Amino acid sequence: MSANLSTPRIRAPRSARAGEVVEIRTLMEHPMETGLRHEGGRIVPRDMLTGMRVRMNGEDVLEAKFRNGTAANPFHVFFLRIERASDLEFTWTDEAGRVARATHRISLA
Amino acid sequence: MTHLLPRRALLAAPLLAAPLLAAPGTLRAQTQARLLVIGGGFGGATAANFARRNHPWLDVTLVEPKRHFVTCPYGNLVLAGTRQIGQITHGYDGLRARGVRVVHDWASGIDAAARRVRLAGGETLTYDRLILSPGIALRWGAIEGYDEAASEIMPHGWVPGEGAQTLLLRRQLEEMPDGGVVGLAIPANPFRCPPGPYERISMIASYLKRHKPRSKILALDAKEAFSKQGLFQDAWAQLYPGMIEWVPGNRDGRVTRVDARERVLETEFGTRHRVAVANVIPPQSAARIAIEAGLTDQSGWAPVNPRSFESRLAPGIHVVGDANIPGPMPKSGYVANSTAKQAVASAAALLRGETPPEAVYFNTCYSHVGEDYGISIVGVFRPNAEGTAIAEVPNSGGVSPRGNLPENRRLEALHADAWYDSITKDMFA
Amino acid sequence: MSLSRRAALSLALLPFAALASEDALNAAIRAEIGAATPQEGGITLRVPPVAENGGQVPVTVLVDSPQNATRHVTAIHLFATRNPTPGIASFKLGPALARAEIQTRIRMAENQMLVVVAQMNDGSVHRASAEIRVATGGCLT
Repeated sequence: MSANLSTPRIRAPRSARAGEVVEIRTLMEHPMETGLRHEGGRIVPRDMLTGMRVRMNGEDVLEAKFRNGTAANPFHVFFLRIERASDLEFTWTDEAGRVARATHRISLA
Repeated sequence: MTHLLPRRALLAAPLLAAPLLAAPGTLRAQTQARLLVIGGGFGGATAANFARRNHPWLDVTLVEPKRHFVTCPYGNLVLAGTRQIGQITHGYDGLRARGVRVVHDWASGIDAAARRVRLAGGETLTYDRLILSPGIALRWGAIEGYDEAASEIMPHGWVPGEGAQTLLLRRQLEEMPDGGVVGLAIPANPFRCPPGPYERISMIASYLKRHKPRSKILALDAKEAFSKQGLFQDAWAQLYPGMIEWVPGNRDGRVTRVDARERVLETEFGTRHRVAVANVIPPQSAARIAIEAGLTDQSGWAPVNPRSFESRLAPGIHVVGDANIPGPMPKSGYVANSTAKQAVASAAALLRGETPPEAVYFNTCYSHVGEDYGISIVGVFRPNAEGTAIAEVPNSGGVSPRGNLPENRRLEALHADAWYDSITKDMFA
Repeated sequence: MSLSRRAALSLALLPFAALASEDALNAAIRAEIGAATPQEGGITLRVPPVAENGGQVPVTVLVDSPQNATRHVTAIHLFATRNPTPGIASFKLGPALARAEIQTRIRMAENQMLVVVAQMNDGSVHRASAEIRVATGGCLT
């Protein structure tokens, strides 16, 4: 397990028109080791993210809980309706309680 | 056998109606029929040669615009500087001597219903069965900013044409100062030659190691895994330590945009990689003629019968080579060669009102990773019991063993050279 | 080198836990939706018919829902029928989500079904499944 979670990547527009639906992509590098995998005759220790939380202007818009079937380097795409200039906040948490954060502002075009 | 009807009527009537059923058994080996082959590469040249050798009653015409064929296989060794382009360039005189009529022209359109092919030069050819082996088209614009003009600055080197793209990439590598970064953009599956980009990385590395040892290679991949990955990565660590960085799709390796003038490769999450030399291998589809003839589905590739390689969308046309959907088989020269023979044997059988023969297909993909260092993957395939798809024969194939096996690697490099010599002889007679 | 106690325990448990049994799958679904009876359909699943890499299978889930105040999806749950454990992920959807669509990448240890369950704000539950085959061989080893 590395000392820190890696830096998340976000792909989202910088601006949108009021009422516009925008695509948000997120990528978080993480091995998502389940503790069930063998390598060289030994079990690779469990090291999982528990989830991802996305808030817009302080309100929850998406909350993901990851289980063993989520692939390494969790990648997600979803769609938000933008009504006003919006601050997005993304957080990932792992089972050891460490947190990685990212923010993104979408202004009104 | 006596012919009671003119040849054409005999051929056309029952076969058009039910191309995959055995026609009333009146046609026999003495009958002549016209087999037209479009495309003179691994599928088409093999088909023309195989047809004349094994079914000499077939009247075989090959349409191929280029007078010389530069192979994709071994193009990476031209980049390494260990082969000259002339050594991977082949002509069609051998096929002519075999009795194939070779027409150097563009096939500009197929009329499947009338069994006619129009040539750009004005001629129209009719056929009883068509073997279509047109290869691939590069999907310009699939990566934003990557069009034909951009490929003159950031070569793809994936459709060799007369070799210009391969030579352009070679020249750029020669002109690059020591310490530069060579960037590659590698597409998602399916694409021509799955191990090809990784052999290319290896061969560029072997050139850089000898001539520009401070240089780096940045391989940006839309995929998370690739053909012979363990073997390639073992070899990279051993032969080119610290030189190659491979970035998979799930670590933001997918190139979505290029800026040719600035030599920038931009990935899905907006990372801009400025490189000294850029090799962009774009997403691909079946060649345009297959699309225009209505032979492709929404995937962009041509679905075919797993036994006869006859198009599922147009009777009388067998689509071989990289343009088709080959099930679990890779788009490789070896598969094009193997399936072209089955397609010709099937076409010949159908022309005689017989059932296509049982099919078995072979593949070997050799890759050169360094000097005297070769690796391979082997597979044997056949149609499944229902005849609906192609499946790999269980436990038939495999890859080279991993580990420190220099003698094994040296022999495989020799085997690869021998494979190249024999398959090009099998194609060009 | 001796194995840690935890590793030794999981090793011992592996033969039994090697496949998500139907019971484990049902229990995992019940843990999310309680006693509700799922209706089949109302969910579009886009998956590759054959995944080239079982470790990274792209999946799109789209629930047929207007996502307005009166009718919206509150949660989407993904399960695998033949992974060592059935759970893949659960998503809670907020009102600003423009449509009930999530794209993610999942693990498929072998050929199996992806089962998706969607909970609506009125308490109803929809369910859909898709077969995913995982390629072996080819030119990908």
